[in-house]
Amino acid sequence: MADAITEQFSAPLTFNWTLSYQCNFVCSHCYSRDEVAEELPTEKIKQIVDLLVKQQVPFINFGGGEPLIRKDLLEVTRYASDQGLNVSMNSNGWLLDHATAQQIKAAGFKSVGISIDSADGASHDDFRNKNGSFARATAALDALHAVGVKTTMSSVISRFNFKDFHALLDLARKHQVTQVYLHNFKCSGRGFKNREDLDLTPQEWKDFYVEALQVKNDTDDLLISFDDPVIASLPGYEENPLVKGSSCGKLSLHLRPNGDITPCGFIPLVVGNILTDDFEELWYNSPVLNHMRNKEAKGKCQGCGVYQDCLGGCTARAFATTGDLSEPDPHCWK
Amino acid sequence: MNLKRKGREGEGLTLLERNPQIVWRNEKRREEKVLQGLEAGEDVAEHGTVILMISGMMHQLNLLGGMIWNLCDGSRDEEQIVDELLKEFAVERELLAEDVADFIQDLLKRDWLTYG
Ligand SMILES: C[S@@+](CC[C@H](N)C(=O)[O-])C[C@H]1O[C@@H](n2cnc3c(N)ncnc32)[C@H](O)[C@@H]1O
Ligand code: SF4
Ligand code: SF4
Repeated sequence: MADAITEQFSAPLTFNWTLSYQCNFVCSHCYSRDEVAEELPTEKIKQIVDLLVKQQVPFINFGGGEPLIRKDLLEVTRYASDQGLNVSMNSNGWLLDHATAQQIKAAGFKSVGISIDSADGASHDDFRNKNGSFARATAALDALHAVGVKTTMSSVISRFNFKDFHALLDLARKHQVTQVYLHNFKCSGRGFKNREDLDLTPQEWKDFYVEALQVKNDTDDLLISFDDPVIASLPGYEENPLVKGSSCGKLSLHLRPNGDITPCGFIPLVVGNILTDDFEELWYNSPVLNHMRNKEAKGKCQGCGVYQDCLGGCTARAFATTGDLSEPDPHCWK
Repeated sequence: MNLKRKGREGEGLTLLERNPQIVWRNEKRREEKVLQGLEAGEDVAEHGTVILMISGMMHQLNLLGGMIWNLCDGSRDEEQIVDELLKEFAVERELLAEDVADFIQDLLKRDWLTYG
């Protein structure tokens, strides 16, 4: 790609937005569960929405924490979707019954992702440290489908489920999900503390992705997505042709509950605050963002034949394990 | 396949409309740069100025494509789009009309545009 990111994009396409770190679960892998941050009142949140509209950011995705814990989630969503923003969220599904699904639909949500990490109910409950969470999560998918909200399913691939992803796909089909995200595990937060138990070896990641890419390319009744740049070297990979490497800081940014901007939820480097700093100044000139957009090969990436496509893999993982954004992704098998 | 004629004869529809499912954005700064490049005589055909997000994939339209895309707001037919573009580009109508027709045919086939 000849052109710098900011020459092509005047703002990110997506803001991943954490309104609150509060959560009713304590999942063993969670990158955000131990975080705390001051939360903004509704009118400040609406101010941010106005700003995103002005910057022509088309998508916001609420994460967290558990978004449904914020009492004003639906109000904020209505406000944002009335101005043309495409709003989605990720939820653990616990608070999402039929009545809430109807309110979600009325608020204008374009889609809702429910996190399900195993097709076996007991294993899911165990992983998420919450009895009954599988039953509620699948019921949430059904309730959303029943009221006509598009659903997606998010499954974090870890040692605990990587051999059973076929069953996750079947579960998605059973609940009429349109898209399954097989998220790669990030060693951040609780995920960092528990990484010995949860992370795969580089060879296991490679084997997983070779198989999963094959399945993805052979599947036409379900969209299967990965968001892992380290797979750029594998046959059958051809996603996001406009941006190589991690898309954080290029196509997406993350907002913390107090309005601080980080490149993504997994990288705890604050580049500025959306309410108090000039957004364009941050977008074009932030040293952290520009570093991420113009990484230079380090270590084994130097001389690697696929560097142009992979750009060192997942920047968040490299940073979490080495403190350096440019080091090779620890998941890399090369 | 001449979809335009089909639209006219079949339903009498000629006005071109963007598929409302498609999320898109004008990249203003980019457009300014491309216009500068154009004036300096550079080949800008490969430079995207409008981005479209379709089923999780991103696509870019170049300057001419982006202008056509912006004009397809349901108020103009193909001829009127050419009229508008002729105000911007100093080219022969016939040549421009051909490019516009090709582009529109392509987008109609992809369902990114429809006759409304
Ligand atoms: C942090 S949660 C917030 C939304 C909601 N509470 C939920 O669980 O879906 C968003 C997504 O990130 C995933 N996630 C949490 N920790 C992760 C980690 N260490 N690596 C990759 N994904 C992770 C969750 O499983 C969930 O699908
Ligand atoms: S993954 Fe979601 S549900 Fe689990 S602790 Fe983290 S924020 Fe809560
Ligand atoms: S060595 Fe670096 S560039 Fe090559 S595949 Fe591994 S992470 Fe990617």
